[in-house]
Amino acid sequence: MSGSIKQSGAGDRAEAARRDTACYVYGILPEDVEISEDAVGVGEPPGQVKIIRHGEIAALVSDVDVDRPLGRAQDLVAHEQLLDEAAAEVPVLPLRFGAVMTTPEAVVEELLAPHHDSFAAALKQIEGRAQFVLKARYAEQPVLVEVLTENAEARQLRDRIRQLPEEVTRNERIRLGELITQIIAAKREADTQAVVERFEPFTAGVVVRDPSHERDAAHVAFLVENDRQTDFERAVGELRSEWGDRVEVRLLGPMAPYDFVTT
Amino acid sequence: MTVAVPPAGGGGLPGRSSGSGLADVIDTILDKGLVIDAYVRVSLVGIEILTIDVRVVVASVDTYLRFAEAVNRLDLASQQQGLPDLLSSAPQSIARGKSKGVAQGVLEAAGEKLQDMLASYAEEEPAPRARRRRREDD
Repeated sequence: MSGSIKQSGAGDRAEAARRDTACYVYGILPEDVEISEDAVGVGEPPGQVKIIRHGEIAALVSDVDVDRPLGRAQDLVAHEQLLDEAAAEVPVLPLRFGAVMTTPEAVVEELLAPHHDSFAAALKQIEGRAQFVLKARYAEQPVLVEVLTENAEARQLRDRIRQLPEEVTRNERIRLGELITQIIAAKREADTQAVVERFEPFTAGVVVRDPSHERDAAHVAFLVENDRQTDFERAVGELRSEWGDRVEVRLLGPMAPYDFVTT
Repeated sequence: MTVAVPPAGGGGLPGRSSGSGLADVIDTILDKGLVIDAYVRVSLVGIEILTIDVRVVVASVDTYLRFAEAVNRLDLASQQQGLPDLLSSAPQSIARGKSKGVAQGVLEAAGEKLQDMLASYAEEEPAPRARRRRREDD
């Protein structure tokens, strides 16, 4: 709360502070979309979702209280649900969680108008496609048995740890865990590659995500054309039954193409 | 901005909704999607973002010790017949044995149910850490 005034945008910021509400932006869509009146977004109470149109494109927004932090589970889920439900019907360019602008006018003047053509072109590119995320995770017992069977050093460490009191084996336990992590990482790399190659024929784009868990076997986002969705889902089912109890396979989606829009 | 895919036409099947837990949501909307800061400068509002970070740090000492512990449990489970003394000091390994009574089964079912509930809000074991993030730091 210093008295210094920034040169650019000081007026807008001051105005927002007086208003105490700001404009949360979810994503960019074609202008010819409609939103049901009961659609609600982030915040407490949840703000009503509105559309701001400009030319061929539009932004999904809702009012938020600038004094209240965002990030409760409900906020996160509201953001994704709104975009994913929209993405099931129309092309959507999803924004990362937490995009807030001062006013609806600013959304037009600073977001939609200056970037109109590139947003419109991007929307055309993703028309008729949706994102899926494949999350595969090694079941704990089978993968540990695999590691012990394949690696002599891991077996030796395990034996040593078992023979000695726990207090004196901290280093060995860390080394064993590190070794297991490395071996699983190598398995993950091979299985991820296999997944990417296997689904390439059914997909229009692939992004390999960082693992989100130490037992991840693959974490991959796919962009899938709507008319290939059935083939893709069947292929995922085949992979699931091939891997059986060794790997748990989950498929998320269809969702907005979060991994395929790049700033 | 760009869409990182080759251009092509599209079809028309309507999509289905996804059943994803909070950890899945966090993986997606905190890390992916367009970053508004790249497009907007003047009228950005820096609202404080509070999120529980339920993501696991994949390579850490905690992870290593957890794996070592899991391997230990694995040993007890597969060799419990020859190690009755160890069994008595590690009751949780009994649950992995073959002689599962009705009560045990019910307890396990309850445990799994609880795990399912937890999983939908905080995948797996690590204790959630509250973490503060500010838009400007991204």
